[in-house]
Amino acid sequence: MDSILTILIFFPAVAGVLGFVVHKDSIRAYGISVAAIEFALSLVLWMGYDPNVSGMQFMESIPLIPEFGISYLLGVDGISLFIIVMASFFTMIGIATLGETKRIKDMIITLLFLQMTMIGVFASLDAILFYVFWELSLVPMLYIIGAWGGPLRIYASVKFFLYTFTGSLVMLVGMLFMAYFYQQATGVWSFSLLEWYRLILPENYQLWLFAAFFFGFAIKVPMFPFHTWLPYAHGQAPTIGSVLLAAVLLKMGTYAFVRFSLPLFPDASVFFMMPIAVLAIIMIIYTAMVAYAQEDLKQVIAYSSVSHMGVIILGTFALNVEGIAGSVFLMIGHGIVSGALFYLVGVIYDRRHTKMMREFGGLASVMPRYATIFGIMVMASVGLPLTINFVGEFLSLLGFYKQSHIMTLLAGIAIIVGAIYMLAAYKKVFFGEVTKEENKKLPDVNKREMFALIPLTVIALWLGIYPKPILEPISNSTESIVQLMHDKAITQEAKERIPNLVDEMSISRTSTQEAH
Amino acid sequence: MMEIGLNHYLVLSTILFAIGLLGIMRRRNLLMLFFATEILLNSVNIAFAAISHFYGDLSGQMFAFFVIAIAASEVAVGLGLLVVWFKRSGSIDLETLKSMRG
Amino acid sequence: MEMYLYIALFAPLAGSLFAALFSASPKTLIAGIVPSALLFVSFLSSLVLLVYVMGGETVHVEMMTWMATGDLYIPYGFLVDQVSATMMMVVTIVSTIVHIYSIGYMDHDKSFNRFFAWLSAFVFSMMILVMSDNFAGLFIGWEGVGLCSWALIGFWYHKESATWAANEAFIMNRIADLGMLIGIFLIYWNTGSLQYDKVFAAMSHVDIAIVSTIGIFLFIGAMGKSAQFPLHTWLADAMEGPTPVSALIHAATMVTAGVYLVVRANPIYDLIPDVGYFIACLGAFVAMFAASMALVNRDMKRIIAYSTLSQLGYMFVAAGLGAYWVALFHLMAHAFFKALLFLGAGNVMHAMNDELDPFKMGGLRHTMKGTFIMMTLASVALAGIFPLAGFFSKDLILEVAFIENHYILYTVLLLTAGMTAFYSFRLVALIFHGEERYKLFGFHPHEAYKYMLIAMSPLALLAVIAGAFKMTYFEMVTKVLPMTEYHVHNPIVYWIMTIGTQLFVIACILYAYRKYEVAKEDKKMEENIGYKILWNQYYIPHFYEEYISKPYRELSRIFWKDIDMKVVDATVDMVANVFYKTGEKTRGMQDGNLSSMLQLMVVGLVAMLALAAVYSIATVLVAG
Repeated sequence: MDSILTILIFFPAVAGVLGFVVHKDSIRAYGISVAAIEFALSLVLWMGYDPNVSGMQFMESIPLIPEFGISYLLGVDGISLFIIVMASFFTMIGIATLGETKRIKDMIITLLFLQMTMIGVFASLDAILFYVFWELSLVPMLYIIGAWGGPLRIYASVKFFLYTFTGSLVMLVGMLFMAYFYQQATGVWSFSLLEWYRLILPENYQLWLFAAFFFGFAIKVPMFPFHTWLPYAHGQAPTIGSVLLAAVLLKMGTYAFVRFSLPLFPDASVFFMMPIAVLAIIMIIYTAMVAYAQEDLKQVIAYSSVSHMGVIILGTFALNVEGIAGSVFLMIGHGIVSGALFYLVGVIYDRRHTKMMREFGGLASVMPRYATIFGIMVMASVGLPLTINFVGEFLSLLGFYKQSHIMTLLAGIAIIVGAIYMLAAYKKVFFGEVTKEENKKLPDVNKREMFALIPLTVIALWLGIYPKPILEPISNSTESIVQLMHDKAITQEAKERIPNLVDEMSISRTSTQEAH
Repeated sequence: MMEIGLNHYLVLSTILFAIGLLGIMRRRNLLMLFFATEILLNSVNIAFAAISHFYGDLSGQMFAFFVIAIAASEVAVGLGLLVVWFKRSGSIDLETLKSMRG
Repeated sequence: MEMYLYIALFAPLAGSLFAALFSASPKTLIAGIVPSALLFVSFLSSLVLLVYVMGGETVHVEMMTWMATGDLYIPYGFLVDQVSATMMMVVTIVSTIVHIYSIGYMDHDKSFNRFFAWLSAFVFSMMILVMSDNFAGLFIGWEGVGLCSWALIGFWYHKESATWAANEAFIMNRIADLGMLIGIFLIYWNTGSLQYDKVFAAMSHVDIAIVSTIGIFLFIGAMGKSAQFPLHTWLADAMEGPTPVSALIHAATMVTAGVYLVVRANPIYDLIPDVGYFIACLGAFVAMFAASMALVNRDMKRIIAYSTLSQLGYMFVAAGLGAYWVALFHLMAHAFFKALLFLGAGNVMHAMNDELDPFKMGGLRHTMKGTFIMMTLASVALAGIFPLAGFFSKDLILEVAFIENHYILYTVLLLTAGMTAFYSFRLVALIFHGEERYKLFGFHPHEAYKYMLIAMSPLALLAVIAGAFKMTYFEMVTKVLPMTEYHVHNPIVYWIMTIGTQLFVIACILYAYRKYEVAKEDKKMEENIGYKILWNQYYIPHFYEEYISKPYRELSRIFWKDIDMKVVDATVDMVANVFYKTGEKTRGMQDGNLSSMLQLMVVGLVAMLALAAVYSIATVLVAG
């Protein structure tokens, strides 16, 4: 159990390298077994995780460049644990349900490398290590979009790469400055996040660093107005690429907000709370309206992702336990639901080779099972109670309500506009008479597709009805972050905005102290 | 008749340098380019020698020798290449060298 | 008792899941019978619970945690007290009957099984709504009925109008749900809990301005579900669904939710009489407004729908004036006769091949005797004639308005009562009396299956006798609701009022019969501007389409094509293009020409020398 995180990160990569020597006919079985083992390992991680401890667990530390305090530092807490499990889950069903693909061997190896980078990002506690995985994750994705994408794939993949890469470079500068300030304050170099947590920066430093980090994270999320790479990437990516992009890769941005921005710069977080909330509200309403105007089913879901990410951002910047826990939960929820929706679009794309909604209509009678699952996911996406998204959305909005009434009222429009574009899209595709001749004989979802869709449906409902197994660890870890922020806050406003939890409940150890 | 001082040498050197620069910029013939470089180098040599004499420091003159040696070897290699190039392309015009394009 | 509670709650879910198992297969009778039977079981359990809570006990269980984070703790908690027991009875009685009726009504539909899956899910959502012991649980049911109504209104999904109406209903409800959600947030941040008992206990310490805000936002939620103005248009359009669904929506499982919410939150509304008065005014307005649209409509189901809207207005008047038990009582009585009316209308529709225009019917009393009797009974009850249910509940609301000295409200409600009587009997007269006009259109009406009529008969019975339970009911619910008796103390005034109202209503009925006994198209009346306004529903749907839907569509398109593509994305591409174009423009430098490269080198040299010179001069100047 001691080095399970290292195994989780590098097992897929090693297996991917070995994959080059596997024969083309058996690569599919090989990929599935590797991904299944990886998923089993992530479940082992979950089983071994103690939900009552709020700090980091399964920590591993190997010094890499001691002079500069760069080390190979890993650990998970309730916030990262479930994203890791989700990443391995999606990779597994992604590989298992891969349809007819050209150069399937390359695809599976790429996916395994992508998995390494995804898990690496969420398990890293060293800024440099984090950055390395963060940037590496671009490469397999670039390859997936560029090699297996649609007609505009080169433009889309280059845009995706350069845009996010530019943002990350600004973030890297921020990281270097952060380490420099740390060195100034303590006399030693360190890139360890846990060390950084203990540093209280003056407010004006915080503002600049926050802005630098924000740039990198906001493009990844993607936040308005940095979102335009996303529709292209989704529009051109193959199904598996879209699924992983929406389910896991976008979460890197919001996760990094929780992991870096909030605990490192509590005062700056409070300072920027309202501007970011305004951006989040624009994201929610504006992109929802853009989604409504789309003609391509996949674009509807791509824009809906941006809209939902707005709610996640809003919850994160509620800066209280309800909001942050809600936003982390919504990361999982959105991952499951949008992943499933992209997969569902892929199902119909495989059959008709078009994603234009006007080409469909009346599919409910031709493909009833497909329509049912799609309907469940649409309702989950709309945020109906007892589905996974409701829990996250409810808590995020509830949390932010503490900070601003009117902003939450505006953000709450999400539940209206969300229903409008989703139901309109559903109506166009599934309701009405079947008008096109080629739609009359479409086969319903087959067994292979069911293998992906049934678990996703079950999870979407199960975690909506009984979110406790996930919400509790998330909540515990969130509490320690909020408490850390409260303790670190310098300005009066920040002290007031970020609740103090110690009076109400006894958290004896915060993650900071636990690192020592 | 006024005495010839350091300034005169330096002015001569500058004029020669300017001529060399102009040659470099304007000439299309590779051979002429070589001549222009030689003029540049020799203008510097004059400056070196004059300043060395002025300060009574020999290192300037030594450096001038050094430059002459390098110029000689450069001409040797350069002219060799030139001959090869002439054999290959039948011309020593600069335009024929434009195989690299941005 | 807990077992009965769980049975009452989960039997409909079990029925729904059972029917859902068959949803992909062709019609199976068992998929209709099992949910109906399970619902009957749920009804029996509710009955047991009702008897139990009559003794003053309540049943309160906490099944498991739903959400818990920070200070927030929301369990799946269920509470059966006198109010929820009443609601459970209404819901299960009406739903059971509607289920059994639907077995006959949906007989020929190929999606028979799917229908029952949704129908039972609908009931289950409503049961959660009324049984939950906290606002979040209420919200589950709240959204659940929204979902089920969406699926059932759009049940015949190949019809454009049906799916349109379904989406309209869902989205309108969502608008209101936002209000509800904000109300819930306010409650949480001001009382620290969402449990009814804790919230109501803490409410007296909360600033009155905040309590008002909470009351307003919760009522916005109620306005959506109960289709109050201006969110009322979905209810009439919801008639696109199968008729049993309409019966369920109108009587038991959806529109009553808003009234239930106000009744349930009575400790909040008691603190804020001003908001209550506003609710009452809006209710009175809607009562009159909806009744006026029903006067001229020529769609049988829409007329009944408007009458529901109008009656909901009555309920809100009572609830707004603090007479919560009266509101609940009218809700109950109304549920019985409204369900009966709809099911009767369903029989007529079946007989007439889904024809809805009553002007094409007439004289059906000969062929459809049972339906005729039941619909007449329901109409009499709706009109509020002694001794049927409507008399006891509706006249009580009039009395409440009178006693609370709101004479304007009283007058409005009285006039509305007259209008109600008029349009109800206009409908009855047009359908069942007069010449047999349907022959012109080639219909061959027939009476519905016998068991459908038998299934409806309990409703008919209840519509007749529900008034008799008034005192029992009063004693029961006032254990949780404010106990205010509404009696006009002066006996002369009382009798004048009661008899006057009765006479007025009877006069309206007779006028309706006189006018529509012989249905003739009154061209002169139809040219009237007032008629046109009513016929077009005050142009409100038109207004929504023209000034809300269309601009929204247009704005979405502009946002996408003009802003997202041409501004946001173009900016990004512009930044990229700056680099790209710079490279493009300057690549000429690397043309491989030694001469031009050397020239550039000299230029660079000169520039750097100049820079050095300027810099050194500047330093000298600054230093000097």
